[in-house]
Amino acid sequence: MSTPVAMQPVAEPATGRTGPRPAQRLTGFMPLIALVALVAALTIADPDFLTARSLTAVARTAAPLIVLAAGATLVVLCGGIDLSIAALASLTTVLLALWLPHLGGLATPAVIGVAAAIGAVQGVAHVLLRIPSFIVTLGGMSILSAVALVVSGAGTVRVVDDSPVAWLDLYLAGYVPMSAAMALLVVALIALVLKVTPLQSWISATGYSESAARLAGTPVDLVKIGAFCVSGACAGFAAVMLVSRQFSGGPTMADNLLLPAVAAIVVGGTAITGGHGSLWRSLAGAFVVTLLRVGLPIVGVPSAYEQILYGVIIVVAVALTLDWSKVSIIK
Amino acid sequence: MTVTSGVAASRRIFRRGAAFRDAGPPVALVVLFLIFAALSPQFRSIENVQNIVDAAAVLAVVTCGITFVLMMGSIDLSAAGVMGASALTVSLLVANNRNDNDFGLAGIAVAVVLGCAFGCLSGLALVLLKVPSFMATLGVSAIGLGVATLMFAGVQPNITDAMLKSWAIERFLGLSYLTWIAAACILVGWLIQRYTRLGRYAFAIGGAEEVLTLSGVKVKPYKVAVFALAGAFYGLGGVMVTSQLGAGLVQAGNGYDFSAITAAVVGGTLLTGGRGGILHSAVGVVLVMVLTNGLVQVGVSPYWQGGVEGLIVVAAVAAAVIPQRRRNQVVK
Repeated sequence: MSTPVAMQPVAEPATGRTGPRPAQRLTGFMPLIALVALVAALTIADPDFLTARSLTAVARTAAPLIVLAAGATLVVLCGGIDLSIAALASLTTVLLALWLPHLGGLATPAVIGVAAAIGAVQGVAHVLLRIPSFIVTLGGMSILSAVALVVSGAGTVRVVDDSPVAWLDLYLAGYVPMSAAMALLVVALIALVLKVTPLQSWISATGYSESAARLAGTPVDLVKIGAFCVSGACAGFAAVMLVSRQFSGGPTMADNLLLPAVAAIVVGGTAITGGHGSLWRSLAGAFVVTLLRVGLPIVGVPSAYEQILYGVIIVVAVALTLDWSKVSIIK
Repeated sequence: MTVTSGVAASRRIFRRGAAFRDAGPPVALVVLFLIFAALSPQFRSIENVQNIVDAAAVLAVVTCGITFVLMMGSIDLSAAGVMGASALTVSLLVANNRNDNDFGLAGIAVAVVLGCAFGCLSGLALVLLKVPSFMATLGVSAIGLGVATLMFAGVQPNITDAMLKSWAIERFLGLSYLTWIAAACILVGWLIQRYTRLGRYAFAIGGAEEVLTLSGVKVKPYKVAVFALAGAFYGLGGVMVTSQLGAGLVQAGNGYDFSAITAAVVGGTLLTGGRGGILHSAVGVVLVMVLTNGLVQVGVSPYWQGGVEGLIVVAAVAAAVIPQRRRNQVVK
């Protein structure tokens, strides 16, 4: 599952340095090491952990997180950040729950389209108004939460007939949860599209050095807007998964997924300064975060430590993956 | 001669521009107040004005803290977590229904110091680990919420301490004690900003950190100190929320981080740093409170509050960036 991470070459900016620094070499394998260590530790703590049943449960829990993190990874690769993903996913759960009775099977593509459009709007605001991305998406987070509260009347919206989204709750071949398979498919699809088109180099050029990319003729603005758009669409798809599992939509349902998603991205080793990283890394990061979440109770640690752990992980992982050569002044 | 007069003229124009910019928020406040007063009879009642001022108390204290961070050009998203932790700390240390502690003022001081320590943590992550402040403070916020959840331990601590409870209830000259505490905080914040090295360096770091470093100032300790100061203000904010609610809640600081950024930005403190100040932010706080209160009075759903704040922040930041559109090409 995580072999692609190891195969991912450590791309280097042409800044005159030769070879990756030790810290970078370490962070290149960080998600893999963390994943193996976690699985080993959990198996020792609870021998029953390495059974098909619990692994299936882990994959099922990880699915929405994988999709959320994969989308936001694109924005981070461009050098920005998307803090609105969780609020957007919450809003989308509400919209889906409200639209399912009227639109039926069309509701799913409709809400994903709306989420993508909202993401694109944030991207346009970031690019055209020249506002830092974290401010745009912080504002977006606040606005989207308010819209979700108003639309839902600040309550949970029950889904009576969930047949159009129930397929996400099935199991492939009896073991593999459909949602996890779809999450992997999303990651593979985005990664493939990046690979076979110039997009990959455009995105990393934008992330490594935006002004150089602009001079080289990269459509930087469009790339950024596209990244926000995909991030929004992924948030929408994650919301569909949540609704299919919980049979309802809620204005704050996905809000607690923001920190895990950000943690998944940075634990994967994607640099918050942009350019360095990949979707596969975020996939591994999402599994690491999910294993931590599932593993804490197994080891007997109260779940309150989960939040503390996320905080520490985010700070430490960002510090390790940061491209120090690029930032002389950190604000 | 012509050169000097030219310089003087341009300086005068610059001053006029600055004066215009500084006058913007207060004028907006007056206009907004008049509009709502015309629209709603309840809004212009004296009780409602008291309500607005009293409701602004906690936000004012939190905004005091965040203003120093914003002046430096950094950002602080940790208010919610720090306030949650300090709210639980104070509610467990003063007389309450969970344990036999009754430390009174000392308990409040501990909560403020705890906030200060959390701020210190953000500052150290920024300075030593070079983690950008929005990430560092996002992490610290999560840590604060986790610590608060640990202390909460499933049973809500209700405070029985008469003094802390009286802060929110008792009035002096028509305003609650909390409001006077907030006023004192604004005064202290203004004195720090105006008369101490910490305040002036915070400005300078936001304006031109490179220049400051080149002239031999060690900026790192000051950055940590600014975050610690902000943390102390959040700690006090958490104590004040606990006094209002009569109980320590993990969610005590919910939404205050973003509201405080809104208030500071709307008051004229630029997110790029080096401009604005405590008094600007104080005007911003009242502006935000008048807006939220006024919208509810004219019949807009209170759920829109966050949405309005989000729009204001994006609009205010966009407006502030327009004059320097050409200068900073790269926006992350």
